[in-house]
Amino acid sequence: MSVADRLRTLGQHQPRVDALQKVTGAARYTQDLVLPGMLHAKVLRSPHAHALITGIDTSRAASLAGVHAVATRDDLVGMEPTYGWFIKDQPVLAIDRVRYVGDVVAAVAAEDEATALRALELIDVSYELLGSVTSIDASLAEGAPRLFPDAEPGEVPKYGAGALGEKDPEPNICYRFSYATGDPAVFDACDHVFEDTFTFSRCQHFHLEPFVSVARWDGDMVDIWSSTQNPFPVRKELARVFRHPEHQIRVHTGFVGGGFGAKHMCRTEPIAMLLSRKVGRPVRFCLTTAEGFLTQCQHAARIVLRTGVMADGTLIARHCRVWLESGAYSDASPLVSEKAGYRSPGPYRWQHIDTAASCVMTNATPAGPYRGFGAPQATWASESQIDMIARRLGLDPLEMRAHNLIELGQPYVPGESEIDTDMHLGLDLVAKDIGFAQRASGSGRGIGLSVGFKDAGGVNKPAQARIKVMTSGRVLLQCGTIELGQGIRTALTQVAAEVLEIPAEWIRYADVDTDAVPFDQGTNASSGVTVMGKAVERAAQDVRRQVIGFVAEELGVEPSRVELSDWVARVDGVEHPLPPLITSIYGGTGFEFVGTGYTKAVNDDRAPLETPCVFWEVGIGAADVEVDRQTGKFTLHRLLICGDAGRMINPDLCRGADEGAAMMAIGQTLFEQMVAASDGSLITSDALTYPVPSTAHLPEAFDLIIQEQGHGPGPFGSKGFGEGGMLVVASAVANAIEDAVGVRITSLPITPEKVLAALDEQSGSALSTHPEA
Amino acid sequence: MTTESLDVTVDGTDHQTPVEPWRTLADVLRDDLGLLGVRVSCDQGVCGSCTVLVDGDMMASCSMLAYRASGRSIETVHGLVTREGELSAVQAAFVERFGFQCGFCTSGMIMATTALLNEHPDPDRATIKRWLSGNICRCTGYEVIVEAVEAAAAKLAGQNER
Repeated sequence: MSVADRLRTLGQHQPRVDALQKVTGAARYTQDLVLPGMLHAKVLRSPHAHALITGIDTSRAASLAGVHAVATRDDLVGMEPTYGWFIKDQPVLAIDRVRYVGDVVAAVAAEDEATALRALELIDVSYELLGSVTSIDASLAEGAPRLFPDAEPGEVPKYGAGALGEKDPEPNICYRFSYATGDPAVFDACDHVFEDTFTFSRCQHFHLEPFVSVARWDGDMVDIWSSTQNPFPVRKELARVFRHPEHQIRVHTGFVGGGFGAKHMCRTEPIAMLLSRKVGRPVRFCLTTAEGFLTQCQHAARIVLRTGVMADGTLIARHCRVWLESGAYSDASPLVSEKAGYRSPGPYRWQHIDTAASCVMTNATPAGPYRGFGAPQATWASESQIDMIARRLGLDPLEMRAHNLIELGQPYVPGESEIDTDMHLGLDLVAKDIGFAQRASGSGRGIGLSVGFKDAGGVNKPAQARIKVMTSGRVLLQCGTIELGQGIRTALTQVAAEVLEIPAEWIRYADVDTDAVPFDQGTNASSGVTVMGKAVERAAQDVRRQVIGFVAEELGVEPSRVELSDWVARVDGVEHPLPPLITSIYGGTGFEFVGTGYTKAVNDDRAPLETPCVFWEVGIGAADVEVDRQTGKFTLHRLLICGDAGRMINPDLCRGADEGAAMMAIGQTLFEQMVAASDGSLITSDALTYPVPSTAHLPEAFDLIIQEQGHGPGPFGSKGFGEGGMLVVASAVANAIEDAVGVRITSLPITPEKVLAALDEQSGSALSTHPEA
Repeated sequence: MTTESLDVTVDGTDHQTPVEPWRTLADVLRDDLGLLGVRVSCDQGVCGSCTVLVDGDMMASCSMLAYRASGRSIETVHGLVTREGELSAVQAAFVERFGFQCGFCTSGMIMATTALLNEHPDPDRATIKRWLSGNICRCTGYEVIVEAVEAAAAKLAGQNER
């Protein structure tokens, strides 16, 4: 019997393991947690974009009935008061100044939220206003106010060949990633060099479960229940900030109601912990949706691409400059800049690449990871410009892409891992399915293509998993990957079930608790199935080996003669159920077999990013758009998305992930945008003022093609899946609009106003009164 | 500060509970009755996560004052499962079609769908899209939800034929 014949659920329709809990309302989220004696926190936020704090008086607030504590900068004494990824620049509470509208100045713990909110009104803060910068251009202008007069503590990650990280390279730029390969002189030999500028607007994650945590500081022990994607990094950072032993902090995370990158680092936890220390009771700190907008968002960007090309469309050299709006604190900006810079050349063969991405500090909500992690910005610019160049050269955009794509098995850049998908196959599938060759360019209806790609699986990311087999044969799967909705509990349960040859129903995926599960760097970079999946596969193999070894020893046979499935051992046709064998040796209380699994990419200085990329995630998209020349309104008749899952663990999960990503990208493309007034306060600041896609925004036709090319490094040839759709929609739509009516939109979102203005410019109409949006 | 007495039927059970006039229906359902499957997200009546049925009509429980529910019948996701533990046709269809991911919108989405199918037992796609446009799901991309609604409608139609 081949392995394929033995497969029980892999690649088949297998309902989610969390389905019953989620459709009955029984699933528990951090938001639901109530502890005995628990108090509630609220925070006072800065009304100013940039100001020095000249005084804080909390006496009136502290004396309000029901208020147990008011915390300010004075409570940070004895701590490392700032946190962040590489650069530790975000204070738990504002120290000498505030840097954006919404910056946290003081925190109150009270009997209930209403009392805490009343107390905030009784806190008196005096400010001395400073000049502010609320855009990339303003921040980089000569003589612009600086957010950080002094260098903040921090470090630069280690890079390999061609890559460089610089901290504070220029005023108001906290970090710059750059990468170069090949000889810049090849630009001189190009038939054409095109330079184009693109702008990218910032979105908000809009995860439905708000940022929330509960902290209980009890004696030496601190327990934190948090809606986080990254319990272990949060534990590490809290230990550093509070100078508290890391082994006396325990982070618990159950179901998380959406993250999309936002919940990757300390959010509500430091303040909940600070207040709990102060009052000696558990403290819950839950933000509103509007406060979420003041906590995290995506990076707005300006991207300038200079691309050298031959007349036949052969791409030669690319020079990429990316400026990312990081907001008031660096957060994960250095990491996002690394990815935005590294991915900007796109999936093409280049003789020379020179790319740099800078993190620009502004007096705005801090930007952080957002689904796609720099790749949406990079792909928007790169894939728009590829189409523009094809059009300028009179070439077919499909053929020009195909002519330049990196082939399967070729490295992205020298020292990098090999591209593990044949992009020609995906591109052909998409082009044929959408009828690209049959389109009528210039007819008012057009088709645009886009090929998005990203290095995926995390950089230098280890994974560990543990599997415990109980005497009854029931199994506990323990690893640190968080269920955010992506279905990782289901996928990893399926992987374990296949290796153990047991029904998936016999396995429970344990809630994550940093005391109980092995270390994990976090749930990000589409790494769950590929990286943690490999660790789970190995843990299952390990425990299976142990069980077979145990059976062989007890029966006095060679392990190779033991067949094992459904926890029944078969030796020479005789069946030996496992539970009685275990109790016959270990007694009635039984035993637990514990298997562990580990994986990590090998460090290699030749790879630009410390380790060669684990796998390459592609998204190939096509948009069929019709434009109304009179109004600029356009209709998305069809959106087609295609990725390569390597091999699907669970087809329904793959589908949900990529369609969800594409829908998020539709919002980004068409209307989502965080807009601030000139004073730095947000105009689109909550659910009422910031629309996100609903069923009303579904394209007329919305289709997905999932390839299974089989080259994935994950268990059974799988690869991570679910960010590809995020990358390609904006550029595919922009390319389709140019195909339809010949105008090019280079800034997001693509609104009818922008299309109409471009059409007016195209027709040279002197009557145009439409402003350039 | 007056406290009203709220007489309300929730998922078929009568409750009499004191309630301050400023508290919302969602507060009472979650904090007093322990019905934590009623999710609160935007708290502005926009996202639909907190959707319950009030005398059969969809309502954002985060934006309805609790006292206004007096004398009315509330249905939440907790009341859909039969005493025998069987899922409703809508719940079963959401399981079958993967009509959820993180699960935070799911209670509201399922209640909205329940109301839809009460009103329009055989809705076309346009009706489904219009009806559910007040329920935000940030995860799925909605296609699977629309399919789940269609599957639930078919399932209910099959049950009614028998």
